[in-house]
Amino acid sequence: MCFKNLPIDIDASGRMTLREEATRAFAVSQSPANAGPKPLSEASIKELLARNGYIKNVDFDPVTRVAGALAFHAVVDLKERKVLDTSSMATLFRGYEVIMNGRDPRDAVFITSRACGVCGGVHSIAAVKAIEMALGLVPPPLGIVVRNLMLAMEFNYDHPLHLFLLAGPDYSQLVVESSNPSVWAKAKTYEARGRDMHGYRTLAEIMTDLNPLSGKLYVEALGMTRVAREAYVVLGGKYPHPETIVPGGVSTTVSLQTFNEYYVRLQQLFDYSKKVVAIWDDLTEFFYACDPLYKKCGQRPGNQAELGLWDDPEAYDASFANCDNWGEKRWSTPGVFINGELVTTKLTAINAGLEEFVEHSYYEGWDGKRFAKDPLGNPLSPYHPWNKETKPKPVGQNWKEKYSWACSPRWDRQTVEAGAYTRLWATAAARKMPKNDFCEATGKSLRFQLPKVQLPEMEMEWKIPEVWNTFERNRARACAILFNNAVAMNNWLQGLNYLKQGKTEVSTPFEIPKRGTRIGVGYSGAGRGWLSHHVELDGGVVANYQIVTPSTINASPRDVWGNPGAYEQAVLSTPILEEFDRPEDFKAVDVLRTLRSFDPCMPCTTHVYAGTRVISREINTCACGVDD
Amino acid sequence: MKALIGSVGYFNLTDLSAGPHVVEALQNETLASGVDVCDLSYGGPIGAVHRLNETKPPYERLVFVGGVENESGEAGYRWYRWTGKLPPPDEVQARVAEAVSGVLDLLSFPIVCQQFQALPEDVWIVEIDALDCGHGLEPSPPMKKLLPEICALVRRLAEEEDA
Repeated sequence: MCFKNLPIDIDASGRMTLREEATRAFAVSQSPANAGPKPLSEASIKELLARNGYIKNVDFDPVTRVAGALAFHAVVDLKERKVLDTSSMATLFRGYEVIMNGRDPRDAVFITSRACGVCGGVHSIAAVKAIEMALGLVPPPLGIVVRNLMLAMEFNYDHPLHLFLLAGPDYSQLVVESSNPSVWAKAKTYEARGRDMHGYRTLAEIMTDLNPLSGKLYVEALGMTRVAREAYVVLGGKYPHPETIVPGGVSTTVSLQTFNEYYVRLQQLFDYSKKVVAIWDDLTEFFYACDPLYKKCGQRPGNQAELGLWDDPEAYDASFANCDNWGEKRWSTPGVFINGELVTTKLTAINAGLEEFVEHSYYEGWDGKRFAKDPLGNPLSPYHPWNKETKPKPVGQNWKEKYSWACSPRWDRQTVEAGAYTRLWATAAARKMPKNDFCEATGKSLRFQLPKVQLPEMEMEWKIPEVWNTFERNRARACAILFNNAVAMNNWLQGLNYLKQGKTEVSTPFEIPKRGTRIGVGYSGAGRGWLSHHVELDGGVVANYQIVTPSTINASPRDVWGNPGAYEQAVLSTPILEEFDRPEDFKAVDVLRTLRSFDPCMPCTTHVYAGTRVISREINTCACGVDD
Repeated sequence: MKALIGSVGYFNLTDLSAGPHVVEALQNETLASGVDVCDLSYGGPIGAVHRLNETKPPYERLVFVGGVENESGEAGYRWYRWTGKLPPPDEVQARVAEAVSGVLDLLSFPIVCQQFQALPEDVWIVEIDALDCGHGLEPSPPMKKLLPEICALVRRLAEEEDA
């Protein structure tokens, strides 16, 4: 049974029915089963704070140290080296959903793209998919291939930035030597297993080159993001915010020459991905060898959700009716995992299980009566995005009540997380990916056959980890570059074939019907995983638009039942392994590593309001506190 | 003189979006030959590094313009030549990390671009004091009045040989 908390039955044909009357079925009075660490009660924390001098409020505001849109509050017991309570707070409201109301749906492609300056093309693609579904518009195969190639390169831009410019410095010599001198001492003699691939003899050599600003790996990543960006621009004309992604395909001109220019860059990225994986493999295994407790850092239950990505040009017809079929034919398979078990790969079920709650967010509720059913007649919750309305209502921040501009998306009323790694996991476990020469899903792993470029041809494998934690998120994100490249290679070959066959159309003309109500959903993905755009068109204009981003899923505050969001859970389970004698020397590196392992992208999360807040702090890390 | 006027700032934040408002206005004017104008916000400082590195021949002058919060309660602006002096490495890295996670800040642009040797020698910063930092598509009335003056200043900084 796919759903444990929502009273929805699914028959063999995939049709869903409610076990009870809708008002009762979607009531929130009953608390769902929700595995995962839970914070202490407010009263217990107050009591502990009052009587134990080692328990401190720690505020990371902003998490990114200078300004930023993510703040994180934790209560930490420095003696027991435990995190007792956490609150994740998105501090900006950007209102893209509100801006979209009443507009021509074509505007969504360009406007929602601006929801983020990091993920510069993914919102455009999610928007066109939503519009294509609403209009019944099918792009020609080459148009789909070009979009796939662009997405792969966007992620190749995104992942190295995260791995080496954002997360990498937390594992660098400069940080490790001061936060964990014993780990640094071991690193000096610990032999790196991937030496043939990356050229480093010891872990200390890797860590030295991870040093921010000057480290070779850091600087190299900056250069490689440029290669990926160039490849994107060869096809998309511009990045970020390409103007060539249109409903019904793309508006770019593709030729053998553009494909060749793309390929030259893809080759460089193939070699780079081999090296990146070897580096993050070495880092992960080294930390586990130093102290097995590192496996507990950022650990969460295996609850993750992914919509799949990279459409099969022969299967994608943009329809909701066939979305289970074309969804499962994507290069990365849609999937939801609960406690490590793959519970569904069907987009209809994934869609039906999605709800958003705002009890701890700066929004008002809504009546939720727009759509009782999806286009196939499956039941929809009043909290589903097609029923949701964005009604901002800023109030004073209060950890017990409202404290974030992110809302709380849940699947089957459970906290899930999203990431590039979920894409790997779902594809590996489901074994539904198309047969090809570069990547194989084994059920327990993804096995890559990587062509020779400068580095020799080789096989690499990403195995589904036993536990999901801070380190595995980064390791999997490194392997996601391999996956991007394998997908890009397959699509590149497929695109050449279409060119050879004379199938050179890249877009399908369309008109916006001026009458009637239509709905659509763009099931898509960002560098950080799940990205959905739900749209309702009425009389040819947008009547409602709802975006769920991966960072909203991950940075969500507590839900209506008080269950923490993914960041909050992950930090709650993080042991404090940093070495320090006095509380004032505490740098919270373990917490920061955990937060950064999600690759936070806050502009996306907080879809503009600069709220005022007062955060008191007893200990501040190198983060600036804000008292405005 | 090959020069770039680049704005920094989120849209829809009233006066904090003054940079994009200036660039939008200048895009409708005929600027001196060799002067480009664009909003650098999308892509952030890393995108700006890439763009500056890719531009051949490179820009000889760069003018960054953006809104900043101030407490004076008055709309105003100031401009100065970028000294090229970087803050301590911790702060530079903090700004890079912030850039990577999508946060925009006027000073992060010259700092990150300087760190990665993407800046020309002649760089100007125009800081516009935001009177109203709340949500809004348009600048506040006092800022609206001031914008033509700021646009003229930005043009002069970009176009005149001895700015």
